[in-house]
Amino acid sequence: MRRALVVAGGELRLLLRSRLAAIGLGALLALSAVAAWTSSAHVAREHATRAAHQAAVDRLFDDQPARHPHRVVHYGTYAHRPLGPLAAFDPGVDPYTGTTLYLEGHRQNVAAFGAARESSGLLRFGQLTPAFVLQTLAPLLLVFLGYASVARERESGGLRQLYSHGARAVDVLAGKALALGAVALAVALPAGIALVAAAASVPAEVPAALAVAAGHLLYLAAWVLAIAAISAFAGTARTALVALVAAWTVAVVVLPRVAAEYALRAEPLPSRVETDLRLQAELRELGDSHDANDPFFAEFRRRTLERYGVERIEDLPVNFRGLVSAEGETLTSRLFVEYAERLAAIQRAQRARVDAFAWATPALAVRRASMTAAGSDLENHLRFLAQAEAYRYDLIQRLNRLHADGVAYADDVQRSRDAAAERRTRVVASHWQQLPDFRFEPASPRERLAAARPALLALGGWVAALIGVLALAARRLERTA
Amino acid sequence: MRALEAPAAAAAAAPAIAIAIDGLEADRGDRPVLRGLKLSVAAGEVYALLGANGAGKSTTLAALLGFLAPRAGSLAVCGRSPQAELNAVRRIVAYLPENVALYEHLSAVENVRYFLDLAGERRGADEIDAALAEVRLAADAARQRVGTYSKGMRQKTAIALALLRRAPVLLLDEPTTGLDPGATREFHRLLDALRGRGVAILMVTHDLLGAAELADRIGLLAGGRLTHEWCAAPGPARFDLAALHRGFAESTA
Ligand SMILES: Nc1ncnc2c1ncn2[C@@H]1O[C@H](COP(=O)(O)OP(=O)(O)OP(=O)(O)O)[C@@H](O)[C@H]1O
Ligand SMILES: [Mg+2]
Repeated sequence: MRRALVVAGGELRLLLRSRLAAIGLGALLALSAVAAWTSSAHVAREHATRAAHQAAVDRLFDDQPARHPHRVVHYGTYAHRPLGPLAAFDPGVDPYTGTTLYLEGHRQNVAAFGAARESSGLLRFGQLTPAFVLQTLAPLLLVFLGYASVARERESGGLRQLYSHGARAVDVLAGKALALGAVALAVALPAGIALVAAAASVPAEVPAALAVAAGHLLYLAAWVLAIAAISAFAGTARTALVALVAAWTVAVVVLPRVAAEYALRAEPLPSRVETDLRLQAELRELGDSHDANDPFFAEFRRRTLERYGVERIEDLPVNFRGLVSAEGETLTSRLFVEYAERLAAIQRAQRARVDAFAWATPALAVRRASMTAAGSDLENHLRFLAQAEAYRYDLIQRLNRLHADGVAYADDVQRSRDAAAERRTRVVASHWQQLPDFRFEPASPRERLAAARPALLALGGWVAALIGVLALAARRLERTA
Repeated sequence: MRALEAPAAAAAAAPAIAIAIDGLEADRGDRPVLRGLKLSVAAGEVYALLGANGAGKSTTLAALLGFLAPRAGSLAVCGRSPQAELNAVRRIVAYLPENVALYEHLSAVENVRYFLDLAGERRGADEIDAALAEVRLAADAARQRVGTYSKGMRQKTAIALALLRRAPVLLLDEPTTGLDPGATREFHRLLDALRGRGVAILMVTHDLLGAAELADRIGLLAGGRLTHEWCAAPGPARFDLAALHRGFAESTA
């Protein structure tokens, strides 16, 4: 260990004195700092915008005048998906999934991109986030700084010199890896500060932030080990560089795209139009709750009259139209949920296909661990969709109940002909304020940690396997002097 | 009592064997290079190993340092086998390689300190400066990057490093190549001093005159074994230079 530390110190001094290494390291540190700063600024702005939008639509809803509850059903409201505290580090799928849902009666809408994104879209250059810098650029810098670390010694005859002073191949490899690891830590520092800053405001997020940090440290450790091992196995530094750049291309660029393409083909998602048409057809089969003569609703009327023991709708103690709306909403919502769950199941299956590739490239493992622990993954979006639908259903049913209990059937029937009856169907405005607002409940840090565990384990597996490879490289290097 | 003391006294009188090579056979690649080499160097002795290019001189040193495993025969450095006790052997041996590999971005002082750290040897700055001065590396040059050095300056740095190890056994592979005559003479004076302190020195060289001036014994390696071995005679004409030349010519013919 002492010898390994001496070797590490020598290698670090070499890196610090090499102008090229200093420039590369400086550039990446600057990039990392810029990423941390712009990403947190962007997320803070986005967070504020979404919160402001949510507050505005909540106020608009509350400020509705006295009106017929069914008008409120069609007036609707919006649900915004808020950003978690760690999104500044890793926004995950946030940029690719809609953040705003329009919630109204009888319909389930598609999540849309908020107004904030479009206005700032022109100003943003791709996704320069700390996670991107660490997952994509940092390994490349480590490759350029480390490819020659062992090969150089072999080429110059330095190995003999090292061995004759008592160092063993293990010391040399461990030392070179330690030096590169120190560089990796330095590279990760700005991103780490960004992570700490993001977690500091929400103490409950600290364990999740630690998991995000652990994932990236394991990932960078895997690269450091791979670089030292390949530098040892390669006959020359040039061979090592070619092999390592190829490895980076495959692991970071090619395989993630292959995995995504494969998942899309293996688990095809029906097109939006296709889904909508099928849903419309099934909705038509359910019947039209607005049409009192629809066969399904004729049957509902018979059952309702029987339940209340009356002969005519007019004799019901509640407003039949409100009941019909509630029944219709129950049926359509069940269908919406069924469709949404089917789509979610396909998306989860696709993700499982991609997850399997975590054993083919640590880049996918770290991506998964990071966005899952940070709460910016697909699961978070699906959770938002499900909660928004549950909220929509609850809101509409509360309005339908208000319709059934608070509006007289006779007035309801007469309201288009009789202005006084119409006025009586209006429910006082204070009701709208009493209805609950939408509040997204993200998965707890504990749940996210559990979900991130397999990806973290995969990263641990990578590190363990590469330690084995490095040990193998040491055995081979011991015999070359 | 006296009878028991006698062998002990004899052992003390005859200097201990520091390097013992016997029946050494070693291959490089699949080519046999050493075929039954027998050679020994005593403490306080300078042994010059001569031989044509490719004769296997550097291979012999490599075997002593455990860089390659012999196919047959025995090797011992101060009674320890490089196969069985690699770390111990490398601790007691200072080695000057044929191709000196120093770190270009470090100065001579920093290079020396780095390798001494690696060997676990603590030496003060003044000791390092003294060693570099002894090999006649100018003090200001010793603080410049080795990348700016001439071949001889690198060689001097490596020699200083080997001396600073203060090892009981010195393995030198063509130490004076690249040194100017003045530095060579100075270096031989240093080796002479070390010999006086009981260091065993095995020096591979192509410098016949230098070997004849300094060495206690000169061995000629050819065909994988020692074909000739000369001992220094007392007096100013230590070796028969004509015989050395003849032997060398025969072995390379
Ligand atoms: N690393 C190696 N791999 C394969 N063969 C080698 C290696 N090093 C040396 N050899 C071969 O072993 C033989 C002996 O080489 P060695 O270096 O011991 O010679 P030497 O006596 O030191 O020669 P020189 O005077 O040129 O330094 C040569 O034929 C050489 O080609
Ligand atoms: Mg040689």
